[in-house]
Amino acid sequence: MRYLPQRLVIEKEVADSPLVKRILATLPDTPVDWVDQLKEDEDGENGSFLEIVKFRGRFIKPCPGTRFYNCCGYQILNLGIQCSLGCTYCILQAYFTSRNVRLFANLDEAIQQLTEHLNNSRREIHRIGTGEFTDSLLLDPLIHLSENLVPFFAAQPNAILELKTKTAQVDLLEKMDHRGHTIVAWSLNPPQVIAAEESGAAPLEARLEAAQRCQEWGYRVAFHFDPLLAYPGWQQGYQEVVDRLFSAVEPGGIAWISLGTLRFMPSLKTVIQQRYPNTSILDEEFIPGLDGKLRYFRDLRVEMYAYLNELLLGIHKDLCVYLCMESDDVWREAFGFTPAERGGLSAMLDRRALS
Amino acid sequence: MVEKESYSIQFEEVDWNDTSCLITYGPLPDKLILSIQTVGLIQKPLLQRKSDGLLRIICGSRRLAVCQQLGLEPLSCEVLSTAISPVASLRMAIYDNIAQRALNPVEKSLVLTKMAQHLDQAQLVQEFMPLLDLEPSDTLCGRYKKLPALEEPILDAIARGTLHERIGFALSPLEQGDRLAFFNFFQDLPFSVSVQEELVEAVVEIGRRDNLTPTQILDSEEVNDLRRAHKRPARQRAQQIRKQLQARRAPRLTARKERFAGEARDLGLPSGVRLIPPPYFEGPKWSLEFTFAGAEELAVRLRNVARLAEQARFQRIMERE
Repeated sequence: MRYLPQRLVIEKEVADSPLVKRILATLPDTPVDWVDQLKEDEDGENGSFLEIVKFRGRFIKPCPGTRFYNCCGYQILNLGIQCSLGCTYCILQAYFTSRNVRLFANLDEAIQQLTEHLNNSRREIHRIGTGEFTDSLLLDPLIHLSENLVPFFAAQPNAILELKTKTAQVDLLEKMDHRGHTIVAWSLNPPQVIAAEESGAAPLEARLEAAQRCQEWGYRVAFHFDPLLAYPGWQQGYQEVVDRLFSAVEPGGIAWISLGTLRFMPSLKTVIQQRYPNTSILDEEFIPGLDGKLRYFRDLRVEMYAYLNELLLGIHKDLCVYLCMESDDVWREAFGFTPAERGGLSAMLDRRALS
Repeated sequence: MVEKESYSIQFEEVDWNDTSCLITYGPLPDKLILSIQTVGLIQKPLLQRKSDGLLRIICGSRRLAVCQQLGLEPLSCEVLSTAISPVASLRMAIYDNIAQRALNPVEKSLVLTKMAQHLDQAQLVQEFMPLLDLEPSDTLCGRYKKLPALEEPILDAIARGTLHERIGFALSPLEQGDRLAFFNFFQDLPFSVSVQEELVEAVVEIGRRDNLTPTQILDSEEVNDLRRAHKRPARQRAQQIRKQLQARRAPRLTARKERFAGEARDLGLPSGVRLIPPPYFEGPKWSLEFTFAGAEELAVRLRNVARLAEQARFQRIMERE
């Protein structure tokens, strides 16, 4: 399951970066192509090349929410793109044409931008994640990125790092002085869904075991039931996940749990059909949402959210459960309240972040 | 200059099976037969001598076929040197055709398919798609290249213009039997091109979900009952079948629409007033539509609706459960 690229493609400009030196030391036998500037259209077979480049844009950006649905105010620290886990529903398939994982080697610039960003708004609470355009821990065994990020966030009074993953690669986190400023989060699905739709990711048990270890090391953990998938027997499937979740982790140490049913840009549908002709995730009926993404029909979304919320709160009533990108009427119907009634979704999560 | 010479050919010298430069598709035009019958062959066909001694047709396959039909032998033709490469011969055939007429979609697909054997994709897209009045796109090129594998009745219909090439694209990934089932279905009923596309998608998805082939769905009793209800106008049958297939693909949305229709009926809205839910019941914006003949009528309807809006049953419609 550990990611091992078949070839490295490295821009010469970042040859002396600590990140490149570490990768070359960790993968001494992997062939390397040194290039002046990466060509966008070269694709290793099934994304088997690891590209290491200098990133020339903004490393930190707000999560691309839309005005039609409640957004959690998350911010993205973009240190790399693409993922090799091969989840059938992955939105990155529509975002990026190349399947190669790409890393940004100018981490010093990223940290500098991040420092300025946090200093510019010291009174705000910043929830920042690296798992939007890649898996936060996919490459950690190779590049030890967590060794840079976790201590950095530990020193920030107003910021929390969320590492979102579907792997169980948490070993490096054990000895770190995180001071409660790093939350380690897993996306969860029933084992049969993981086997069929997330076949390159860690099994459920491995994810929960990793979460348990992180809790033992003092980290708060988080879970994302996202995407929730409707399939015959989904109620039973998710009930089992919830049961296993709470037999592995302490509910009091959970920062938050998000719920979000499958949704995607219409262009992803063709990609999924071509790459995964046997997947059944497109069998359910979809409607175009207010943001243009295809979503389950609202009555099904409400049913799934209400079911999961009841299961979760039935186990621990103080859990912070929230909906990712949903409208007030769906919140009200599924949860009985809207984020605005509790100060807004962003504020709800900010309170949890620093509690 | 292209090296060629005039030569009187016998039809037995023509290799009718060599279609490597043939991009013409469709029936022989009646007027061509009439023209050759009346004034004879005006423009000579172009052929190329092959290493086996037979002649490959480059331009004028229809003229040759008509002349053979009329027994005009020996026939004076232009014959190219064997030194001309296959790709140059094919290029000649294509440019000769597009200079004279617009190619039909099947012919365009033959141009792209045959040229793809000689050129890389980028050159094919950049040179030949604009020449064929197509947007230069890899995706579109890929779709056209799949058309020649379709069955003859489907190709004939596309060449005639009675079936849109977009439907050919949509049918190309399916099994042969399913393609023909869709083709016959669309021949029977007057669906627009976009509705045909929608139906192919819906039926394929129903089939995937319910483990049925598209043919089984299109031949199901419920579809056939409507399809064969010949007393009803074809347009009405088409609408009903579309509605039925949509309901099968999207049962939740359909049930919700039906429930809403019942609730709206029971609400007793004044005539000339229509309550419209948000598209797909997504989001908070409901609409009211008024039809009225003057300010006074509008005022009455507004007052009536205002009274209704305060009632619990009106508010319940907005709440989905």
